[in-house]
Amino acid sequence: MAAGGLEPYLDSLRRELRAPDPAVLSVLLALLAVALTLLIWRFIQGRKSSRKAVLLLGLCDAGKTLLFARLLTGKYRDTQTSITDSSAIYRVSNDKSANVTLIDLPGHESLRLQFLERFKAAARAIVFVVDSVAFQREVKDVAEFLYQVLVDSTVLKNAPALLIACNKQDVTMAKSAKLIQQQLEKELNTLRVTRSAAPTSLDGSAAGGPTQLGKKGKDFDFSQLPMKVEFVECSARGSKGEDGDADFEGLEKWLAKIA
Amino acid sequence: SSPAQERGGSNSFNHEALTLKYKLDNQFELVFVVGFQKILTLTYVDKLIDDVHKEFRDKYRNEFQQKGALGLLNGTFDFKDDFLRLLREAEESSKVRAPTVMKTFEQSSKSQKTIKCMIETRGEKPKEKAKNKKNKGAKKEGSEAISASGKAAAGEKQPPAAGDREELTKDEILQKNREEFFKRHMKAGEKASKSPKPEAQKEKGKKPRVWDLGNSNAKVLDYSNSTTNGSSEACPAEEFDPDTALGDRNREPGRLYDLEYESDEEAEEEKVVQNPSKPSARKGGLGGMFGMLKGLVGSKSLTREDMDPVLEKMKDHLIAKNVAAEIAVQLCESVAKKLEGKVMGTFTTVTSTVKQALQEALVQILQPQRRVDVLRDVMDAQRQRRPYVVTFCGVNGVGKSTNLAKISFWLIENGFSVLIAACDTFRAGAVEQLRTHTRRLNALRPPESRGGRTMVQLYEKGYGKDAAGIAMEAISYARNQGFDVVLVDTAGRMQDNAPLMTALAKLIAVNAPDLVLFVGEALVGNEAVDQLVKFNKALADHSMAQTPRLIDGIVLTKFDTIDDKVGAAISMTYITSKPIVFVGTGQTYCDLRSLNAKAVVAALMKA
Repeated sequence: MAAGGLEPYLDSLRRELRAPDPAVLSVLLALLAVALTLLIWRFIQGRKSSRKAVLLLGLCDAGKTLLFARLLTGKYRDTQTSITDSSAIYRVSNDKSANVTLIDLPGHESLRLQFLERFKAAARAIVFVVDSVAFQREVKDVAEFLYQVLVDSTVLKNAPALLIACNKQDVTMAKSAKLIQQQLEKELNTLRVTRSAAPTSLDGSAAGGPTQLGKKGKDFDFSQLPMKVEFVECSARGSKGEDGDADFEGLEKWLAKIA
Repeated sequence: SSPAQERGGSNSFNHEALTLKYKLDNQFELVFVVGFQKILTLTYVDKLIDDVHKEFRDKYRNEFQQKGALGLLNGTFDFKDDFLRLLREAEESSKVRAPTVMKTFEQSSKSQKTIKCMIETRGEKPKEKAKNKKNKGAKKEGSEAISASGKAAAGEKQPPAAGDREELTKDEILQKNREEFFKRHMKAGEKASKSPKPEAQKEKGKKPRVWDLGNSNAKVLDYSNSTTNGSSEACPAEEFDPDTALGDRNREPGRLYDLEYESDEEAEEEKVVQNPSKPSARKGGLGGMFGMLKGLVGSKSLTREDMDPVLEKMKDHLIAKNVAAEIAVQLCESVAKKLEGKVMGTFTTVTSTVKQALQEALVQILQPQRRVDVLRDVMDAQRQRRPYVVTFCGVNGVGKSTNLAKISFWLIENGFSVLIAACDTFRAGAVEQLRTHTRRLNALRPPESRGGRTMVQLYEKGYGKDAAGIAMEAISYARNQGFDVVLVDTAGRMQDNAPLMTALAKLIAVNAPDLVLFVGEALVGNEAVDQLVKFNKALADHSMAQTPRLIDGIVLTKFDTIDDKVGAAISMTYITSKPIVFVGTGQTYCDLRSLNAKAVVAALMKA
């Protein structure tokens, strides 16, 4: 029956092709041209929006802006609390002609989520900068922010590579990356229980996101996340003070891998 | 070191002994800050900051425009010499004005007067007064002539100068009054030549001094118009048109009509008001069109005049959505400051830019400092083997007890045991209300389902006792019995009631709760500002500690009664910068929500 239905159309098409009626043919050609342009345009769009950004996130005074300056220029700069984002192109050192866009976002509580919203879709990788010296005091705030980043739906969908940079290692009281990892895992473990138990939001969506972080039943572990997580120690100021170089080979190597 | 918050208005900030003044350049995203000691009142600071801004911007314009972030990092901005020069110039300009030199005696106007005119004698005075009267009379004549030509203001009564009264006797008073009465009748002006007459009739020589209140003769003291009290010849029948007085002849006598909705007159007024603005709009039409096109293409920087109409509309919109009026004004101010001079992108209109900026500002306000995670903190307190104390305060009738019950239900669901402290010892039935809630909650979650322990218990000591004492006893009872959370319910009180505010502050200062929640209803409008400010002030004033315990969070209740007039949320978080921890949306135990900033802002901005 379907074949019978199609036959007359096929016949009419064949008749048209054999004896081209200029009006119909021109319409067909125009449609083809439009379809082609659309395809090309989407292709180019896709090319452009391939995520090339590396976001520098973290609490206030973690050292994001200084890291940003050091990575780009190698020089030490006196920095102030950021109130807006800064972005620049970073070329990887082993001249692979690979480059990423480094974006330094402000860490202040009232601004950070706003800027994260803006840039999360373009993120290929996230560097979460942690102040290793003040970590003991701030562990709850660090974990809260990290939790908010990890349960974000866009972040879960794109699964950008995550590097937790334990900054300020030049100070003697700094905690090691291993310790920070353990503490964060414990704190995130508690947080996912309390956050998902929070009262549902006004418009019905659950407060902690519909997704559960990590696997249920087991203690939270960074390996349970869909993205690759690494911990690295670094020091933006550098052990030799302001004149010397910054101490972040691990970070640079990781960036080279990402680019 | 706190970044520029969305608190509009002033551009100065005080911190300890320093004052900081700042200026924003929105085009190149620069912030200029000047700091100086508060005790010095420097007048040239504003000018200095403007000069520095202009010079810096002009000197480094290329770096900003071309190189972006890398340019800022790499460039050397050697501005120190320029700054010192500008500072010197500013200081000198404030000293330029030399102190005023006192005028010498020759230069003053007093030396011009002759001695004769400065001597005051008894005889002299009336002459001066007569002169005055003559002047006044001349003025009166002149004004009467004018009034005679047009519609007469027939009642042009001229009150005699206070000084003249003492000189006239009662005959003269009567005469004067008669004059005025005649004047009032006649449309044409009367010659003021009568006025000097009373002067001529004055008796020469010494007259008894007439004190204002000393003369007991009532007649002299009666300055009232003799025409008003009843003599028929003094008050002839005026030409009276009954139609104009009564109005509509056809109305039923004695009936009270309803208010008529006069929409037509209002429309007329609007038309009248709009007319003067129309010609200017037409004149600016062509230029306006090009301006709009230029705005569409981009590279147009925003000026105050562009933004003002949009901001006015936004402010009215916010106020219509129940945001407190002063907060709406401040918000629009801060948005204007943030956008002034900014270059708009392509295909963006002024309206969309302003709306976008306002939306961001609102979201930023609703996500203040630290999110209050009650469960997390309760777990911490559990680990330290002490109860977590939450105190509810607020004005009368906002829903403290209801929401306390809802929160205890939520805590029970999460496995924490709750002790409710009934510190409302004033309101009749408060203790019974809490007892009923306790019974219901225990029925909903019976002890058997929770491993044999009662999840909710009520601690009460009846009525009339001291609330702070009950709270203290409740907390120690909870510590002994191993309760996880203590919820303290206080009596509702108006923010103006000083003794009750003192009592509340004492309760909070003495018991040091972990969380102080202010319960406010979403229906409140401008009152929210007053309530929160006064509550915070009371808590700060009566606290004995170095860092006083202020309100830590807000519970927004009766949210289901407003559909999208959610402005109270903005008002409350703006005033306190503390987050909204819970939102109450009904009277059952499940009607407890957490705030979703984006949804609230979307409801606010919705037309």
